[in-house]
Amino acid sequence: MYRKIIKRSLSNMRDSYLIYILACSFAIGVYGILLSMGDNPSLHFALRFWGSFINDTTMIMSSIFAFCAFIYMIYVGGFFIKQQRNEFLTFEKLGMQRWVIVAISFFQTIIVQAIAWVIGITLMLIFQKFMGMLLFYLMRVRFNFEMHISLSSIWLLIRVFFISTLILSIINAIKTIRILQKKKRRPLIKTRWWLRIPAGLFGIILLLTAQVCTLYLFKDMHTISYSAKPLTEIMYIMGADIFGTYLVYFGFLPSILNIMQRIHSVAYSGVNIFSFKYMKERLFQNISILWFVTELSAMALALLTFCYFGYQAVHQNYNSAYPFELAANKNTVKVIREELKKNDAKVKGSYRTDVKINLVSYYSKAEQSYNRQPMTFMSYSDYMSLPKRMRKGNSKINSHQFLKIGFSSSVMYNNHEKEHDIQVKDAPMIPTAKLGYSFPYGSSMHFGPMMIVPNKYYEKMPAEVKDTFYGWDFKKGDRLSHAQMQKLNSYRDAYYMKVNFKSTLAKSSIEVMKKEPNKYEAATYTQAGFLRQGGVKKRFKQGGGFYLFIVALFSVALLIALGSVLTLRILLRDDYQSRQLRTLQKIGVEESEIKGIIRRENTLTFLIPIIFALIQSFVAIAMFDFGRHISKNIILIYGGYIVLYGLFGLISFQVSWRGVKQKFNL
Amino acid sequence: MQIAVKNISKDFGKKRNAVHAIKDISLEVDHGEFLGIMGPSGAGKTTLLNMISTNQRPDHGQIIIDGLDLTQFHDRDQAKYRRNKMGFIYQSFELLDSLNVKENVILPLALNRSNKKLIEERFNHMMQLLNIEKLSDRSVDELSLGQRQIVAAARALINNPEILFADEPTGSLDSKSATILLNYMQLINQKEKTTIIMATHDAFTASYCSRVVFIKDGVVFSEVVNPGNRDKFFEQIINMQRTIGGGDYFNVSQNY
Ligand SMILES: Nc1ncnc2c1ncn2[C@@H]1O[C@H](COP(=O)(O)OP(=O)(O)OP(=O)(O)O)[C@@H](O)[C@H]1O
Ligand SMILES: [Mg+2]
Repeated sequence: MYRKIIKRSLSNMRDSYLIYILACSFAIGVYGILLSMGDNPSLHFALRFWGSFINDTTMIMSSIFAFCAFIYMIYVGGFFIKQQRNEFLTFEKLGMQRWVIVAISFFQTIIVQAIAWVIGITLMLIFQKFMGMLLFYLMRVRFNFEMHISLSSIWLLIRVFFISTLILSIINAIKTIRILQKKKRRPLIKTRWWLRIPAGLFGIILLLTAQVCTLYLFKDMHTISYSAKPLTEIMYIMGADIFGTYLVYFGFLPSILNIMQRIHSVAYSGVNIFSFKYMKERLFQNISILWFVTELSAMALALLTFCYFGYQAVHQNYNSAYPFELAANKNTVKVIREELKKNDAKVKGSYRTDVKINLVSYYSKAEQSYNRQPMTFMSYSDYMSLPKRMRKGNSKINSHQFLKIGFSSSVMYNNHEKEHDIQVKDAPMIPTAKLGYSFPYGSSMHFGPMMIVPNKYYEKMPAEVKDTFYGWDFKKGDRLSHAQMQKLNSYRDAYYMKVNFKSTLAKSSIEVMKKEPNKYEAATYTQAGFLRQGGVKKRFKQGGGFYLFIVALFSVALLIALGSVLTLRILLRDDYQSRQLRTLQKIGVEESEIKGIIRRENTLTFLIPIIFALIQSFVAIAMFDFGRHISKNIILIYGGYIVLYGLFGLISFQVSWRGVKQKFNL
Repeated sequence: MQIAVKNISKDFGKKRNAVHAIKDISLEVDHGEFLGIMGPSGAGKTTLLNMISTNQRPDHGQIIIDGLDLTQFHDRDQAKYRRNKMGFIYQSFELLDSLNVKENVILPLALNRSNKKLIEERFNHMMQLLNIEKLSDRSVDELSLGQRQIVAAARALINNPEILFADEPTGSLDSKSATILLNYMQLINQKEKTTIIMATHDAFTASYCSRVVFIKDGVVFSEVVNPGNRDKFFEQIINMQRTIGGGDYFNVSQNY
């Protein structure tokens, strides 16, 4: 008979169990995949560069993941026990012994957990190869990913299964015991308006101050470079958001419905008379869950933004450091061309640009110091004829404007300031120059800042040193062999410039030396002979790919977990709540109206957290807003998040309506 | 003739353990009639009422009210029809736990978006009439069974339905409340020509009807018409109950 009871309660809640089991088995599958990747031989072979890093990362990641999943299971698993509360109490009234009831809930948990694990492990077996291939693709590694699960992984999985299932079952059994001890039916929730309204108001104030603070953060991030102020602001914003949201939920969600319910002309028309009260009751039950989901969603969004911008920053730094696959100057171009010819590299594009090097002096506001240094000059039309990617991080200029390209001291290069009054040796002073940070031919090809000047200015200006830069793009790499690289190593430095600064620029001069000076003097600059992406690019792609993989996996898992919490919360109505919907139908409320109530409930439950989460993750954008062209992508990411979330809402509405409708036809 | 039920039947469950709740029932109810339906437990009274009131669809047969074949209606139109013309007192009350007594009672009017003044007026009238003014702000959870039943009756009657369906309306009531309710039903039946169909076990309750149909095992067994004298009618009903047999099923009136 106990078997029958367990079987029946499992089938009664099968929709909810299905969602729970799917979410769990997804988590288990991901966990298994992460775990088994750590000691996958083909991964290790493909990523020799990264050594034990992969193993450590997957180990740490899978542990964190397992921990989160476990918390989720404890939390959500409790819903099911709560749902059976009446049933358990009836069993006890009918004289069933307590330990039997507890045993029923214990075994029920074990069965559900076992099913989830079986599905999860199956998922892992099916998708391991796929995920591995995805990882390899993202890492741009051309290897075949072999399926592999080591004995130690299996052993670990089995242990985790037994321990986690045991703990979960015991926890659920304890929850059942507590239900049997308390017995009190549905505690009446006290409204306590005197507490709620002020708390809600305070919450709104907190949220508002957080938003104001965010605006300040925007400003401070751009103006203050090294200070504890932004950090304090971020801490404050986070705290204010978290508590403010809770207080607002606690104070206002029920109050709004309560007020509407008091306005009889609204409340007494149509199903409102019922739906306001119903919704209020449901909201009361769900406040802490809504809050929990809101904060976690905000965190997930912030994490996503953070990772995205972090990746972008690294990517852009990298791209501005190596805009060409191979770059050379006039001293090395011959040797390099010869080497390229030897191994038949397929050149996709080649560029050359003449530059002039001259001495300049100016007062730099950003560094707050007076600078005297050599500077490379390039004409506007030469600059414009280079590939577009060279100009990506620079301000736009027209043919009459000047552009100074410098090294950015921080990641916050969204600097709209300009440089003024730059004196150039034997040439007119440059009154204003716009700023940029991405160097044509790569930052390492230059020893100092660079200036793009109008064509006429360029033609007329004198040069201390004249040089020509060369750049190549290839189809399938430059194919330079290790031996060739070794040979080229002696060309790394093209020449050295020793600057003799005198009282005025006109008297100062640059002395070019072929040999490296014996000791480095302050005013000696090195011109690089060539610059190659080579292995750096490969490593960069691998690291970035791995990073993307983990972040994507995490945020998807988080999204699924949060969505399923909300869905389950909606599905698991108390008995009397779903009976009421049936009653409504009996006294002549149209089905579409009842559907409307359920739709409203769903919309509220899903909309509230996502709106608050979006508002809060605004901070993350504030922290990392680099420029207009990036914000579009972040909007896309957020949009994707909202769409997925909405999908969850839609599914839970459909399932929920189906469940209610089933009861109608009894 | 307002309601015509033609050869309806209804089964529950699947092949093996199917229950033929209603086998083949035909009935005619005139406008303004007070019809009683009696029969032992499980005879199919509730099922019959549910089908006439379009809460359930019959497997076969037709239900024609005011010349309209309701079985042909779409669910949505049925719900509309039900809401506008019919009132229900359910055997299991079907009150909404979330709402208090007042809100439960005015629900049908609110659903029809009646104006607030009318709602208040009708509400006070009903509460006074059924002598339950004191309950109006209580929560349904706290009511006794009898109190719930009378509240359910108030809800059914508040919008002056054309047809009233009452399933065991006095099952949980003490004799005084039962008499008040039955008298009121008789009043609206006579004054406002409300058609009433009432299912009951109770011979005393049934004696308020103008005609009583007996069903057993899903078919009409016989019927008794009120001769104009309640005591005589009551006796006839008791006799018929004995004839149907299984007297142990019946709670012969506690009011007698
Ligand atoms: N939803 C249902 N599913 C299955 N069987 C049902 C359902 N509703 C009613 N029945 C069956 O149909 C038959 C008639 O039930 P019904 O409720 O109409 O009886 P009744 O005359 O109202 O009885 P009572 O006097 O106890 O109210 C019974 O055998 C019952 O078991
Ligand atoms: Mg019945």
